[in-house]
Amino acid sequence: MIATIKAEWRKNRFRPAFLVSSGIIGAITTLVYGVNWYLALHPSASDRQPVSLLTLYPDQFVNNVMGAGFPLGAAIAIVVGALIAGSEYSWGTMKTTFTQGPGRLTTWFGRVVVFAAWMGIMTAILFLVGAASSAIVASFQGHAIAWPAAIDVVKGIGTIWLVFAVNGAIGLALGVVIRHSAAALGAGLIYVLAVEILAVRFIDYINNGAYKWIGDLFVGQNAIALLQSFTSPVFPRGLAPSIGAEQAVVVLMAYFVGLVVIAAGLLRLRDVT
Amino acid sequence: MENTTIVETHSLTKRYGSGVLAVDSVDMSVRRGEVYGFLGPNGAGKTTTLRMLVGLIRPTSGTATVAGHTPGSPAGLARIGALIESPGFYPYLSGRENLRVMADMASVSQKRVDEVLDIVELTSRAGRKFGTYSTGMKQRLGVASALLKDPELLILDEPTSGLDPQGMAEMRKLIKDIGQGERTVLLSSHLLGEVEAICDRVGVISNGRLVTQSTVQELLGEEGVLVRAQPADAAQEMLTRMFGPEAVSRQNGAIHLKTDPGKSLEINRQLTAAGIGVSELRPFERSLEEVFFQLTGEKQGS
Repeated sequence: MIATIKAEWRKNRFRPAFLVSSGIIGAITTLVYGVNWYLALHPSASDRQPVSLLTLYPDQFVNNVMGAGFPLGAAIAIVVGALIAGSEYSWGTMKTTFTQGPGRLTTWFGRVVVFAAWMGIMTAILFLVGAASSAIVASFQGHAIAWPAAIDVVKGIGTIWLVFAVNGAIGLALGVVIRHSAAALGAGLIYVLAVEILAVRFIDYINNGAYKWIGDLFVGQNAIALLQSFTSPVFPRGLAPSIGAEQAVVVLMAYFVGLVVIAAGLLRLRDVT
Repeated sequence: MENTTIVETHSLTKRYGSGVLAVDSVDMSVRRGEVYGFLGPNGAGKTTTLRMLVGLIRPTSGTATVAGHTPGSPAGLARIGALIESPGFYPYLSGRENLRVMADMASVSQKRVDEVLDIVELTSRAGRKFGTYSTGMKQRLGVASALLKDPELLILDEPTSGLDPQGMAEMRKLIKDIGQGERTVLLSSHLLGEVEAICDRVGVISNGRLVTQSTVQELLGEEGVLVRAQPADAAQEMLTRMFGPEAVSRQNGAIHLKTDPGKSLEINRQLTAAGIGVSELRPFERSLEEVFFQLTGEKQGS
């Protein structure tokens, strides 16, 4: 298992998909801070939800970066997951790795470990860029730099990692099921950005919300609920699903484990043609 | 007693979900230390058989033992190296870095990477990205990857596929060199000359069935003499009297005689003495190509 993790890390550390997605996460965080800073300094009378400078200071940076978790971060994680799993089929590397020696499951779990580690790196980049951006805003505005409590930072990192990892696992599983990176990527994005949203709305609508509990089992609903559990009152809030943070963590973890295990089963049983 | 076979299959069969019978009851046996040619036309079932031997696909029925283990088991894979169809590597990594990944996968020392690059003569271009490699370089990298574990058994599936004539010659020389000594090489090909030049034994597969398995010499059959003479009927009658009816056959106007070519002088003397004009008399050898077309039922030149 250690050898497989080593091989997967060697293979993925310079993988363009990881490097580009990490760059996008960092760049978008910087851009969002920049735009919000401008809007906070140049408020418009027609703006119904004006941006408060208070939300851009370091003590609020954890709350701020939570906004990157869904749907943007989720979409990026799905793309990366689909590329990691699907391109092994497109490049014919599946057969090369499977004939090297470690069993299929060992290879798969090594891949999942490295993927989860990369989701951790992307999370760290998001937090570092968010913290740096908030410190820059505070410095320019002459505001004292005060950081949130360490426990809040840790919880925030855990939350973003979980949201990235579970959505990445959707991409990974789709890559294994469809055996093609581009098709898996497309299917994943359509699911997270359209199908799930429509399905949840429809389920919530049926019989005056009698089946809302089913809608509350979807990945997106739980991700939003978990991310919004952090958001302080100074932030404008969307309509949060009525799901507790603890329940959301359990549901998202179950999805992550379930998707990884289903994909592992398929990999083990199916022929590599 | 040490087992002399390194690959053994019994009634190995693969039927796909679509109903296509790709491999049909193949009983194959590869001996240790030999270069075994697995010969067959495109679509005959060669790659499917090899994929079953390395555990990439599961047989519908039948059994196989490869290097003493079930196909695809980690213990068995540790003793074999394989290049199945086109070499699959990560295009954004260099050739050397790709081999390092595979060495880690196989728990092989990183020192071995430079050794195999040297064997396949790819050291000078090992720093280039795999995506920029020519077909020949890709095939060489595939062979290098298969050699990483210094395997007892090397399985190469159409290793000269897509190469130009020079590349093919270089690859054949490489395979010959690799096959020296105790290592067993199982080589699939649809190129008859390649198999005839490299292999000790040959298995011929057609429409999923192994139609024969023997040494190249056995497959080419007994040596003989080809005679063209006029009148042909009189010549055939005389030769039948001399060598018996089972030794004489007539194909495309020529008489094929199963006998020692050293008797050519005597044959010529006897025919001439009987007033039969001899226009051609030479040792006759069947080519592997002829044997192949005869065995597979394919039409030559079609």
